[in-house]
Amino acid sequence: MYGGGNTFEGIKTDSLAQEDPEKLAEFEARIERGEKIEPTDWMPQLYRKQLIRMIEQHAHSEIIGALPEGTWITRAPGFKRKLALMAKVQDEVGHAQLLYSAAETLGKSREQMITDLITGKSKYSNIFNYPAFTWADSCFISWLVDAGAIVNQLANAKGSYGPYCRALERICAEESFHLKYGHHCVIYLATGTQKQRDMFQEALNRWWAPMMHFFGPSDKISAHTEVLMKWKVKMATNDDMRNQFLDMYVPKIRELGFIIPDPKLKKNQETGRWEYTEPDWEEFKRVINGDGPCNKERLEVRRIAEERGRWVREALKTPRTAYVTPLA
Amino acid sequence: MNSLDPRVNRLPSVGQPGQAEPKAPLDQFGTFEVFVQPKEGKPFQHEGAVHAPNLEMAFVLAKEAFTRRFQCVSLYVADTRHVFVSPMTEGNITVFDFIHDTPEQPGAKLSYEIFMLSKRGKQHVHVGSVMARTPNEAMSEAKRELQTDKVVYNIWAIRTDDIRFTKPEEQELWMTLPEKKFRDASNYKGGDKLKEFLERSQS
Repeated sequence: MYGGGNTFEGIKTDSLAQEDPEKLAEFEARIERGEKIEPTDWMPQLYRKQLIRMIEQHAHSEIIGALPEGTWITRAPGFKRKLALMAKVQDEVGHAQLLYSAAETLGKSREQMITDLITGKSKYSNIFNYPAFTWADSCFISWLVDAGAIVNQLANAKGSYGPYCRALERICAEESFHLKYGHHCVIYLATGTQKQRDMFQEALNRWWAPMMHFFGPSDKISAHTEVLMKWKVKMATNDDMRNQFLDMYVPKIRELGFIIPDPKLKKNQETGRWEYTEPDWEEFKRVINGDGPCNKERLEVRRIAEERGRWVREALKTPRTAYVTPLA
Repeated sequence: MNSLDPRVNRLPSVGQPGQAEPKAPLDQFGTFEVFVQPKEGKPFQHEGAVHAPNLEMAFVLAKEAFTRRFQCVSLYVADTRHVFVSPMTEGNITVFDFIHDTPEQPGAKLSYEIFMLSKRGKQHVHVGSVMARTPNEAMSEAKRELQTDKVVYNIWAIRTDDIRFTKPEEQELWMTLPEKKFRDASNYKGGDKLKEFLERSQS
């Protein structure tokens, strides 16, 4: 589902001065020609580091993102919805596995990535630190959070790192059912009773601010985009992706008669850009640094799952097992 | 924890809340490479890797990770350590330029499966089998027997005996895939309901 609002470590461009200039030029020319970089190819340390960080955050977001929706599996309204939601949550966890593998090809072990997640060192998409109070929250996630993720992932699938692009192609293909399922759920709420409509409107009110945060800080305050875009690590700016999402989904939300809780939201016909109330980036920072409504619960659930599974992994471990980095 | 999720509230207390132990090396086991055949007559293609304690578990996990959604008729897995990899080339340089004849050696020949990468950015595809005594010999046999005019950027060779293939009786694992419409986007058509709603709200 969920590659959005990545946080990148501040880039010290002087670290590039330590790279072999000839190799760096060849590397950049290859990206410029639209070729993919493969694990055995030469790459600058900075490229490797930022890619690991981005792919790892994406993988964690898939794992943690399964939790708020998973909450509603047991209480989904009817067998068909339960079946679909189970399949969707299974997909999200599967996506995490694909992404962890892609990050591993860059040299970080899965053990280290999971340790960094459960100790709070690594980040994941901020939006999953908010609670899913009602079934309508789950529908919001399935439709609109997935929609935002697809905007992001379709862009990144055209990036420069082969294993990540291949994982994203598979993920995007699987996501199409999620998006349609989520829209279907919301149509049923929208065309249902007044109580069902109110329930979705309340979910929309709760989730709109986190949704605007989803694509990450505004380009005005988000540094280090330039080199990442040159290397096709990042394929569009945060504001461009947010704008694309608004272009595609604001009309669909309004078509259903719901009110988006931002009185300033409108498209400037001259610029073709959406205008909106500036999201509260202080809240974004506060939540991403651990002080959101569900941060502790999300990490604790993962920590307990890891602890409870430890004996199984130990029982299955064979002495001849040796770690080798996956190939592609 | 005071969660909205009753299942989370029922979780037992394990270890110290908020204090996670770093994972030991190999806690997640070794990796296995996964190859999938989407349709009869199509070649097997590399799809990715799974972590598993052994080849049998790798097969089960590969089935879940790579073939639960889209059409598949067969898959196989091999320990990453058992995949022999040639150098990687680029541009118009074919990897065969770096593969040389190996001197004749004593011993029985074994079967190797050969996979080639013909387009950078795409996956390795199975192109055939060769008989050889060593992985290096398998590469040179691949050059002799399987080379075409196409530029090839990378070759993998895996000893056939090191691969966990799908057994004939396991092929029914994928027979029910087309019935699982709940995983299909076309199963979620809300157009009529939406149209009716829009007409009603406009009147």
